[in-house]
Amino acid sequence: MNRRSFITSTGTALLLAPVLIREALAAREQSLVVVAEGTDYPAITRKAIAALGGMKKFVKAGDVVVVKPNIGWDRSSELAANTHPLVVRTVVEECLAAGAKKVKVFDNTCNDSRRCYVNSGIEGALKGMKNVECKQIETERFRKVTLNGTFLKEWELYDEALSANVYINVPVAKHHGLSKLTLGLKNVMGIMGGNRGYIHRNLEVALADVNAHVKSHLTIIDATRILTAHGPQGGNIADVKVLNKVIASTDTVAADAFATTLFGLLPADIPVTVAAYKRGLGEMNLDKIRIVKA
Amino acid sequence: MKSTVPRICQLIFLVLFLFLFVQTEYRGRDEISAAVNAFFRVDPLVLLSYLLATKSWSWLLLPALLMVVATLLLGRFFCGWICPLGTILDLVTVKIRKTAPIRALKGNTKYWLLLPLLSASLFNLNLSGLLDPIAILLRALTFLLHPLLGLVTREGWVGLYRAIGERRDTLAPAYNLIRDNLLPFRDTLYPLALFSAAILLGIIALERFESRNWCRNLCPLGTLLGWLGRFSRFSRVPAGLCSDCGRCRELCPTGFGQDLLRKEDCILCLECQRGCPHDRISFLPSLKLRESGPLLPERRLLLGSLAGGLLLALPARFRNPEKESRLLRPPGVRNEDDFLKKCVRCGECMKVCLKNALYPASYQAGFEGLYTPLVIPRLGYCEYNCTLCGQVCPTGAIPSLPVEAKRREVIGKAVFDKNHCLPFARKIDCIVCEEHCPIAEKAIRSRDVQVLGLDGRFKTVKEPYLVEEICNGCGICEKVCPLETKAGIEVFAVKNRTPISRQAIVQEEKRFNDPYN
Repeated sequence: MNRRSFITSTGTALLLAPVLIREALAAREQSLVVVAEGTDYPAITRKAIAALGGMKKFVKAGDVVVVKPNIGWDRSSELAANTHPLVVRTVVEECLAAGAKKVKVFDNTCNDSRRCYVNSGIEGALKGMKNVECKQIETERFRKVTLNGTFLKEWELYDEALSANVYINVPVAKHHGLSKLTLGLKNVMGIMGGNRGYIHRNLEVALADVNAHVKSHLTIIDATRILTAHGPQGGNIADVKVLNKVIASTDTVAADAFATTLFGLLPADIPVTVAAYKRGLGEMNLDKIRIVKA
Repeated sequence: MKSTVPRICQLIFLVLFLFLFVQTEYRGRDEISAAVNAFFRVDPLVLLSYLLATKSWSWLLLPALLMVVATLLLGRFFCGWICPLGTILDLVTVKIRKTAPIRALKGNTKYWLLLPLLSASLFNLNLSGLLDPIAILLRALTFLLHPLLGLVTREGWVGLYRAIGERRDTLAPAYNLIRDNLLPFRDTLYPLALFSAAILLGIIALERFESRNWCRNLCPLGTLLGWLGRFSRFSRVPAGLCSDCGRCRELCPTGFGQDLLRKEDCILCLECQRGCPHDRISFLPSLKLRESGPLLPERRLLLGSLAGGLLLALPARFRNPEKESRLLRPPGVRNEDDFLKKCVRCGECMKVCLKNALYPASYQAGFEGLYTPLVIPRLGYCEYNCTLCGQVCPTGAIPSLPVEAKRREVIGKAVFDKNHCLPFARKIDCIVCEEHCPIAEKAIRSRDVQVLGLDGRFKTVKEPYLVEEICNGCGICEKVCPLETKAGIEVFAVKNRTPISRQAIVQEEKRFNDPYN
């Protein structure tokens, strides 16, 4: 190598280096969505978590973890209005196995909270587990949080969700009258207090505002059965489709984007997903998301 | 109170009453096995006014019939052994210094209360619950004392959180125990709360004049039981005061105003027997019916009461049609007149209501409907899968229905107010009502409509509309409407409360196994 070629190659390398490094980093940051399928719901839930690197990647010993399922409605679990109790239970077990000091499971329900907790099957599924709390919402724990969002400047959010070390979002995939679908991004409404109906007038922007503030460390979408119509509470088993799938990702937007396809829709059809993507909360383009079958 | 068999029995029933009262609440199961309605089911006043008003029979009231038979055999033992209000009076009366009895309450006053009540029942106005002692006690508990207990405890608990934050959690097990077993689930403020408690306090205040003042001079249930007790085969020997002693007069809580203990006054508390310095007194069964005065009150009283009842019953019928439009009754009540004849106004349905949808009517239903339950949807809605109010209603005024039937029962019909409802008034999306509508086929639906927005640009909004045939009027839409104060959708009463079709709420058989349901 002569001097000229050394200088040229070094110069090129120096010029290209930032681009190359950025490319390499981008490849590593590419959103990963894991899809596990099977009729053994605890097994597929575990498989999905394992494919993301295992729960130990998210939960460290001594952590306080919030597992936030959808317990919004007084419906039995077969009607797909709430997260499946077995999925919730498995996520909680994984957290404990990873060393969590305490796992808190709650939701700000729409129907009577006592009935929702009982009839969703979730309270029963967690009964007797050590270091697990399945408490109904206590209104004094809501505190006003400055969001400085586009639509919501401030809102009351649940203290326990904010103070936890790890926040795991465990929604059920279902139809919704206004937002078309309700998935991970919309599940955050369960930690919101106040007059929640207010945000319906600008739902997608409001949800982006809240999700920008409260990031889910892990999103596990229950698509063991999905509600395809008359959501979000359904009530007719004819609207329920059994898919036996669990979807997991650290990117809520990506998880939502993939789950959208289960309904025969595209991520761009769902304003909530689009607004969150535009806000930079995650990736919604399916061709830029790495989808792995676990 | 000294611990004798009747006194212990009284305390047991008081504790039972309070226990059943607290149990009249959702405890994680769809059915309530034991509720405080048991006390009304054995209440002969409830039975008699029900029979007179409805002119029909209900098996729910069989225990009350048995109580009538027991009273005919034994006398007015209910007042001295069971009645929780009587027990409370016995407990507090020892602390209250007595002045002289009120003369105006003597004589036929108690009949002037009981008989017009019964006569009004005959003319279709059943107000006996207003003066029934158990109902009075229950209403004071339900509308003021229990909510007050809840409010104070919870405020203390919240205050603790504000003071020490998360560290409060160490005390949580103790608080949860109290909350889950004693407190009302949520704090509710009721209209008529102070009034209800004032009546109870008034009855207690009457103890200033003589012991068991309410029981001996006013209580319509006691009067009725006393009249039935006249036929009892079980009586005190000797019937009157002994010439050399007279201590019975001090010992007796009810009857010895005169020198003779009248059977209708004797509540069989056995205090005279226990306290007799000479051991002369015994209560013995006998075959012979001992006469004590005429069996029927004087004719003037009978006719006067009949006329009084009629005079009470007719004007009470007046209803303001304006108010009637929001006169929403609990689920399963299809006929207002029939409901009013059966309702005891005990307040149990309001105590048990999951979402605090039910409130006592103060002025809304006229004098006739005082204390009857009213759904106020803006404050609380009727939970779709809940059947508790029907389960605890003592007389079946609110029928006890299986959940499939109750879901279809019509409380009213929702109506949009387009001047308030956001998609109409402000041309923006909302449809929180559609989201919450529990009917599987959705009684509230929405359609995409091109509208001219307030900014002058065309846009698409989802306009909600009602499918009236399948609306059961549960009121969740009105409750959750995110507008402040007045809702953009409201439930109005309807005359035709034919249940909605089965198809609208269909739930097919379970298709797959679910270990937790």
